[in-house]
Amino acid sequence: MQSIINSIVKNRNLIIYLFLLFISFNYLYNNSAIHYSGIGKIGTFISGSTSSIYSNINSYFNLKEENSKLIEENLELKKIESQLIGISNKSNISESKIDKTINARVILNSINKSKNIIVINKGKFNGITREMGVISSKGVVGIIKNITDNYSSIVSLLNTDLRINAILKNSSTIGSISWNGLDPRIVQLNDIPLSSSIKVGDTIVTGGMSFYFPKGIPIGKIEDYNNTSLEGYYSIDVSIFNDFSSLSNLYILERTDNDEIKFLLNE
Amino acid sequence: MNREIARDIILSIVIILSQLLIFNHMNLFGTVNPFIYVSLFILYKTSYDKTSLILFGFLVGLIIDLSMQTYGVHTLASITVCYLKERIEKYSFGVNSILPLAMISGTKLTNRVTYFLIIIFLHSLIYFSLIFFKLEFTLTIFLYTLINSIVNFIIIWIISKLIFNK
Repeated sequence: MQSIINSIVKNRNLIIYLFLLFISFNYLYNNSAIHYSGIGKIGTFISGSTSSIYSNINSYFNLKEENSKLIEENLELKKIESQLIGISNKSNISESKIDKTINARVILNSINKSKNIIVINKGKFNGITREMGVISSKGVVGIIKNITDNYSSIVSLLNTDLRINAILKNSSTIGSISWNGLDPRIVQLNDIPLSSSIKVGDTIVTGGMSFYFPKGIPIGKIEDYNNTSLEGYYSIDVSIFNDFSSLSNLYILERTDNDEIKFLLNE
Repeated sequence: MNREIARDIILSIVIILSQLLIFNHMNLFGTVNPFIYVSLFILYKTSYDKTSLILFGFLVGLIIDLSMQTYGVHTLASITVCYLKERIEKYSFGVNSILPLAMISGTKLTNRVTYFLIIIFLHSLIYFSLIFFKLEFTLTIFLYTLINSIVNFIIIWIISKLIFNK
């Protein structure tokens, strides 16, 4: 206590100065319009910047929650999107509606091999089964290959074993997408006959004639093509929309009518 | 001692009154308004208490503000100058300087000029910064401060000579 009093006495000039300074500023602030608005502006600046710092820090801590909220929202939107696709194209057998989308996070990913596999943090317990289609917000990613209780592996689009049914969005010409194992940004569209007209920049989407993906999920756009093949087909390079090196959130499409269709085919 | 204090009080009243009655109404070259009351802080004896100097500065500034409708600008400049006076003294005259009376006699001319100029410049700078109170007027603030400081310096120098030559 004594030391506090001592320090007050020692610094009395500073305390008195600050006190009088405060009174003077108060006097100035209350009576002069220029200073009122000027000091007010400084006050707004200080309060604005401090609260923005606070909200930045706060939002950083809430990022995880925000992220999961966004994922939930995305799932809802995907569901609505798939329903709309189902309504607009009822003719094709594969374009049945998607009952559920499951979101998952990538925990292992590679792009530098010829048979790339992605591992996600959802498995049997989350309702994942083999051969489900996997997409991201930008387009097709791959197909579920193996499942454990809590994890699944995906055959990536960048896997030379995978072939996906695809069509040209404009002309609905059917082909298939595969990867030649070279450039992770480029896949190849095969089986497009030379008779169909294509041009660079055409969008390629899933064709829907498979158990994995409904029609209309984007894959990529034509980067380059070659029509000198003797077999009567174009060789087309497609640059994919997805950046496979930075995949994080994926959606797994769950379709309940696959079994029914398979049953029919086996009959 | 008492006579000395009484003399200083009367001197202060005279200076404040002449500021209020004469110098407040002067407007040299359209921009300069001499603040001769700053001489009170400059000539305030170091033997007097420093705390009372700050209170004295507050009082004088308030009187000038009330008379000039400047809402605390003079007060702010005055208390700041009064608070920093000791440091300015040390800077101008050297750390170990002992200044028994107001230091007009017995000190070097350059030291005195530095001391006067720093206080007057600081006072004018605070005054004009608060009067304009906008960043875009920075150049104007410095220009006004410079002109005002020079004129004030001349006037206050003459006043101090008048007082201490008696």
